[in-house]
This record gives sequence, C-alpha cells and structure tokens, in this order.
Amino acid sequence: MSSRRNFLRGAGAITAAASAAAVSRVAMAALPEPVLQTRPDTMPPLVPSTGRPYNPCVTLNGWTLPWRMNNGVKEFHLVAEPVVREMSADFKAHLWGYNGQSPGPTIEVVEGDRVRIFVTNKLGELTSIHWHGQRLPNGMDGVTGLNQPGIPPGKTFVYEFVARRPGTFMYHPHADEMVQMAMGMMGFWITHPKAKHPLIDEVDRDFVFLLNAYDIDPGSYTPKIMTMLDFNLWSWNSRIFPGIDPLVVRKNDKVRIRIGNLTMTNHPIHLHGHEFLVTGTDGGPTPKSTRQYEVTTDIAVGQMRQIDFLADEEGDWAFHCHKSHHTMNAMGHDVPTMIGVDHRGVARQITKLIPDYMVMGERGMKDMTEMEMPLPDNTAAMMAGRGPFGSVGMGGMFSVVKVRKDQKPGDYTDPGWYQHPPGTVAYEFGGALPEPARFKAEGPGSMPALKRPTTPTEVKVRKPAGGHSGH
Amino acid sequence: MTAGLAGCASFSPDGGFAPVEAAAKDRLGKDVRWARTAADGEMMAQRVAELLAQPALSPDDAVQLALFNNRGLQARFTELGITEAELVQAGRMANPGFTFGRLKSVDGVEIERGIHLSLARLIAMPLIYGAEARRFERVKREVTMDMLALAAETRRAWVQAVAANETLRYMQQVKEAADASAELARRMEQAGNFNKLTRAREQSFYADAALGLARADRAQRATRERLTRLLGLWGAQTQFRLPERLPDLPAQPKDQPDIERLAMSQRLDVQAARLAAEQTARNLGLTRTTRFINVLELGLARNKLEDGARQTGYDIALELPLFDWGGARVARAEAIYMQAVQLTAWAAIDARSEVREAYGNYRTAYDIALHQRDEVVPVRKRISEEQQLRYNGMIIGVFELLADARAQVAGVNGYINSLRDFWLAQAELDMALVGRASLSLPTGPVAGGMAGGGAAH
Repeated sequence: MSSRRNFLRGAGAITAAASAAAVSRVAMAALPEPVLQTRPDTMPPLVPSTGRPYNPCVTLNGWTLPWRMNNGVKEFHLVAEPVVREMSADFKAHLWGYNGQSPGPTIEVVEGDRVRIFVTNKLGELTSIHWHGQRLPNGMDGVTGLNQPGIPPGKTFVYEFVARRPGTFMYHPHADEMVQMAMGMMGFWITHPKAKHPLIDEVDRDFVFLLNAYDIDPGSYTPKIMTMLDFNLWSWNSRIFPGIDPLVVRKNDKVRIRIGNLTMTNHPIHLHGHEFLVTGTDGGPTPKSTRQYEVTTDIAVGQMRQIDFLADEEGDWAFHCHKSHHTMNAMGHDVPTMIGVDHRGVARQITKLIPDYMVMGERGMKDMTEMEMPLPDNTAAMMAGRGPFGSVGMGGMFSVVKVRKDQKPGDYTDPGWYQHPPGTVAYEFGGALPEPARFKAEGPGSMPALKRPTTPTEVKVRKPAGGHSGH
Repeated sequence: MTAGLAGCASFSPDGGFAPVEAAAKDRLGKDVRWARTAADGEMMAQRVAELLAQPALSPDDAVQLALFNNRGLQARFTELGITEAELVQAGRMANPGFTFGRLKSVDGVEIERGIHLSLARLIAMPLIYGAEARRFERVKREVTMDMLALAAETRRAWVQAVAANETLRYMQQVKEAADASAELARRMEQAGNFNKLTRAREQSFYADAALGLARADRAQRATRERLTRLLGLWGAQTQFRLPERLPDLPAQPKDQPDIERLAMSQRLDVQAARLAAEQTARNLGLTRTTRFINVLELGLARNKLEDGARQTGYDIALELPLFDWGGARVARAEAIYMQAVQLTAWAAIDARSEVREAYGNYRTAYDIALHQRDEVVPVRKRISEEQQLRYNGMIIGVFELLADARAQVAGVNGYINSLRDFWLAQAELDMALVGRASLSLPTGPVAGGMAGGGAAH
C-alpha cells in the first residue's frame, strides 16, 4: 500500500502522483496528493495527528483516508477511478471505486470540522458525490443537474461544508448512479462527536462496513449493471466470505459496529452470543428510551445502523446477514433440487457421456463444502471457509466476531481459533441414557385402557376426501 | 476383295477389353477382370474372398471388390463380346445361297434353280465393317466409362455407409443422454422435486432423440444395402465389415490449377465427341464423292428405350441414283458435320464447367470439414468443459449439463457429416476428371446455433 503515515511524502505520494498523471499538473499542484490503497486488507485505525482528536474507527477490509490541514480546513482528495478489487482470495472484480479500492476510503472527521474534499474524476463519464445524510449547503449535496454540473472526466471539483452533526454517513455518486453504484462507487463517512455526547458512548472498538451486492457471472470480472435484485455476490465492503476479515475484540470491550446498506434489498444482520442496542440510525444517535436489546437488526435500503454491545462472551461468534442466500457466493438460482432423488444407474449412464460428472445435492448441498472440484476461472466457491471443526459452508455476508480476553487493546490481528474450555463443545452422544424414573401412570393416558392393542398402531394421516362434506 | 475382307475379320486376342483394363490401372490403380473362363471366375472369386476376409473394407478394397464382383459390370463386358462378334460377322462374306423353286401351273411345272451371292452385301461390306468397327470402339469407351462410374459410385456408397455407421453411433449417445435425463426427470417427479411440466420437457428431448436414432438407423441400413448391391454381395458375404471411422481429413487439399486442361485430356465424353466429329468429317468426304450413301445415320442411331436399356446400332441403305443426284444429301451431311462440331464444343464447355464446379465443391467441402473439426467441435468441447465447471460450482444443474452433452455430440456428428461430404466431393471430382459426374447440389446454409438443443430451458 501507499503508506498513509507518509502522507505528502515518500513512495506513496510518488506513486499517487504518477497515477494521477491524466489530470493537469498545474491543477494538481495545489491539491493534496491523492493517497491510494493497493491492498484489500483491514488497515489499523488512523489515529489523528492533526485537527481535533477523536477515537478512530476500523473499516472492515478497508482504510481511512488521510487528510491535510489547510488553514484549519481538513482537506481530502478522492479520485474516482476504475479499480481491481479482490473480493476473496480466488476472485477479483473489475469495479469502479475511489483511490484504488471499492468501496472508497472511510472519511473520518469531527463534529464542527470544516471539510474540503477535492474530487478528481478519472472515469470515462461524468460523476459527482452525494454526501448521504449530511446537513450541508444545497449546492454541496452532489445531485448532478439539480445541485451542480457533473464532474467531467479529467476534472477536479471541490466540495466544502461543515460536518455539522455527529453520526454515521455514506458517500456515493449521484450521476449515472445506477451504473456507478452497481460498479462499486461508495464509501463511508463518520463524524465523531466533538465532546462527550449524552447519547454517544465512548467505545473501545468501532467497526464500519457497507453492505453491497454485485452480479458477476462466474468466470467474468465486471458486474452486470442492469441487475436489479438477482445478485449473486452479497458483500461487506466488496468482500465475500471467507475473504472478509474477522472483527477482533478484547473481552469486555465496548464494541460499536456501523453498517450502511447500499444494496437494493434489506439485510437482517444477526450477531451470535450477545445482545446489542441500536444506538444510531441515519438521523444520528437514538434516544435512550427507544433502545432495546436485539440480536438481529434489519437494515433497509439506503439506511445506516449503529449497534453497540459489550463483548463479554469469549469465543468465535458468527455475525451475518440472516437471509440465508446472502451467506452464499455465486450460485445458480435455477438449479433443480435433487434432494431425495435416487441416482442409481443413471449416474453411471451420465458418466459414460460426461466423464467428470459427479452426483451432487441428492442429500442436500453440504456436499459442496466437502468437495474440491475445479470451478470456472475467477469464481469463489459457493460456500467455503474452514473452521476448527471443518467446513463453515458459508459465503457472502458472513464474518466472525472474535472475543478474546488476552487480546491487546488496539490489536486487531487475528488471534486464531478459539480454544474452548473442556466440556464446552457440543459432543457426540455415545451409549444409552439411563431410563428416567417415571411416574407409574405416566404414558398411556390419565386412565388405564380397558383393552390394550397387541400390535402398535401406526398413525395414518387421512386427508379430507373431497368436497366439504366433512364440515 | 473377299479374301482381303475375310483376313480382317478375326477376333482380337483381348476381345476389346484392353482399354478397359488400362483405364482401371491408370485411373483407379485397380485390376479389372472379365470373367470369360472358369479359371477367370475362380481367380476372381478367390480375390473377392480375400478382400472380404480383411478386418475392415477400405474404400480401395470396396472399389476393387466392385470391379471383380459387380454382375452388372460383367454384363456390360459381355457387350464387348457381342459387339466384337458382330464386327467379325460384318467382315465376313455372307454364305452363297441356293434356291430351288417348283411352280405348277396349267402350263406345267416350272422348276427354278439358282445360286446367288448377296451383291448388295458385297458392295456394302466395307461400309458395314467400318461402321461396326467404329461401334466397337464406342462400346469399348462406354464400357470403360461405366466401369469408372461404378468405381466412383462404390466409393461414394462406401463413404456414405461408413458415415451412417458413425452417425448411428453418435445418435445412440445422444439417446443415452436423453435417456438419462428422462429417467432422472422421472425420479425427480417421483421425489416430488419436479412438476409434470418440467418432467414433460425433459421427456420431450428423449422423444426427439429416439426419433433421431430411428432415422439414423434407417439411413445406416439403406446406405449399407446400397453398398452391398454395388459390391454384388449376397448371403454370408453381406456380413462384410467396414471401418469404424471415415479416413481423416488430408493435411492439405489437392491444389490443381490446371484442372480444366487435365479434364480436357482425360474426359472420355470429350474424347468421344471429338472422335464422332472426326468420323462425320470422314463421312462427309465420302458423301461428297459418292453422293449416294446415306451413311450419316451411322453412329447416331442410338435409342434409349423406356426401361432404360439402350439400343445402339446403325442403319445403312444403298440406293440407285435415278431421280436424286444427291445435292441435298451433301447439304445434309455438311449440316450434320457442323452439328457434330457443335456437340464437341458443347461437351468440352460442359466438361470444363463441371470440373470447375467439382473442384470448387471439393475445396469448399474441405474448408467446411476443417472448420468443423478445428473450430466447431473444439468450441463445443470448451463449452462442455466450462459447463462442467459450472456444474461443479452448483451454478447450473445436471439437466443443463446433459443438454450440453447432447449438443456436443451433435457437434461431433456435424463434423462426421462434413467429413463425409468432403470424401463424396473428392469422389465426384475424381469422376468429373474422367467423365460426366453427377454433381450433388449444395444444401442451403443452416442457421447457426441450432445444435444447441434444449439447453435454454
């Protein structure tokens, strides 16, 4: 990556300058150097060295955009450009994003900051940025044609406003947005409170990610931008499980997770092992009176949710969208159900014609996770991920919250699999249970039968036989 | 004069068969025999048995077999004998005749005795002999042509029979795939995973495949029987074995830039037309000098009867110049000569065109077969491989995989057909170089993608 710490100097800046060569050098001279990110990993939080202090957040498989202070104004530089995003180890997508990645970098500011964002367009068509959820002058809202002309290719526009209210926000294009969002142009924005806020608790870890979805044919690279609902890749920050990093926390950390939904459907996000409170929405922190403990919160299209919880249960806890298809990677949606279909004889007949044919799915789809079969190029397995007990059989919007008592504060490195204390893992039943002591009259009914049937009666369900005569 | 004529009128040692034999050697590289003696017959039967004993009959073997064993061809050879006998007959004086008459009338009994020689025959003999000799030449050429045509026909029939075998085999595979999907669909319905509609769709592929198989079966039988007839086989001999596959496409198509010139020098019909013109030229000269002899019917008397049998022969008439001094005859002879000249030109032009067409067909057939082999079949195979990968990832189901297997098989079968067309075109070209070939008209282009079958459901 180009180091964010070496912002304005060093290799990163040189790379960045070279890659921005399409934009006029004269124009670029006054701009903050754009910083690029070449790796899809989760980057450590960017602790502010200038401006007002705040408690930084961590972008899942992403990063925070560095800034420069210019006469008290925080200056950022976003470059809209085509990117190659590694969505998982075996699958790369050709997307559009910002500063080398899709989604673009998270922008973190503090309530009351004056913010100036330079947006350079290196796409082939007009773009603009809408600052989703912000209070700002109307001309800064980014709707092409309505609030501003589109940013032509090769040009740089400036947005400038004060981050007025603390909360969780997003940014995305508002020019050809159907295409540009389907291609992955989006990012996160956090406005931290300036001072202690009665509704915003201090937390130890603050994670952010966007929900996004793509329709990329297995074996191809570019999303199908016309797809409306039948997506085949459901991602968090354009990563699909097992490509998504775990959310690593220290036991008893107060944890905050902020989730924004830029897909075209809602996502019930579910956390195992803990209850959380929804402490913030699109509109900012929620009143305490409205908060209730949940294990699943539904995030509608275009919405943001901020959930807080106390990570007081050690272990590796699943965290996922509860729409089960959203925890799958590319799969056929028209594949016939094979459950219970006897393949004897037919399989051999098929193998004569198709030598590599293998029966799948007649017991269910779990087989898929057990078999290592070649797939089309650039295709993530439908469900994958290995856990300590075997295949996890998941894909898409699935990750793990790892709670460890010996995790250092501020350390986000993966601690490995949870070591379960003895006797705390579900185990195989072996042997007969002792017959429980039963009350004498238990079983046959409240009164002894006069004449017991000698053979056990088989229960037969009889369906109503025609008409309404049975009423 | 009589003695001189009698001297010419003997049988040739080869019975007129030498040019046929030579043509078989030069043009086909094959032996041909005319079974005139028991020894010949035995030898040929032995060769036939040897050829049939081979593990698989190659196209050259088939041609050789047909040349030995086709009874129609042998029947044609006998025509050589008949014609030669007639030629010899024409060169001999008719026996003198003797007449004895006894007539009784009121005046008494009149006894008439006479010995006579056919004067007309004597006068006409050189003409008749010449005509017979020319007819013999023509029959030799015709028999040669028939022999070459039989060879070409046999080659074509061999190609068609082998291709039909291969097609049958592929249709069996298609049917197997359809069987598998129909059976699977049945079990899917049984397990409650398919409704009647979905199952019926899969069933319909099976029904179509069964139909295709039946047609392939019929074609296989018909083409084999046709070859059997050309080879003149019957009884246990009909169990002859053919190779599994057609010969591969040659690495390079034959390049023949001077094919028209080659055809001009080789084509028997062109040669015959030229000879006919030369003959009419001679006849014209004869008519001019004698002014009486109506010989121009010679060589032109050729009847084709309803049942396809041919009558060839000539007509000769002599007359006494009492009223007509022959001016019209000369004019007619000249016209007929010009006709022969035109017919020769016509034959030559047709021959050039035919050979061009045959060569064009041959090159196109080569290109099509090459394209099928190097483009269509590999693409189908790649599609199948990619589909297999998609099946592995549960992106498509088994029915799509099976539909694709059917399409791949159809693609391979398409190559078989184009390879068959290539070898047929090759046989037609070979034939067009020696005589009139029956060129098959091309079928219209086929819309692309039809081989996809029911993949898109």
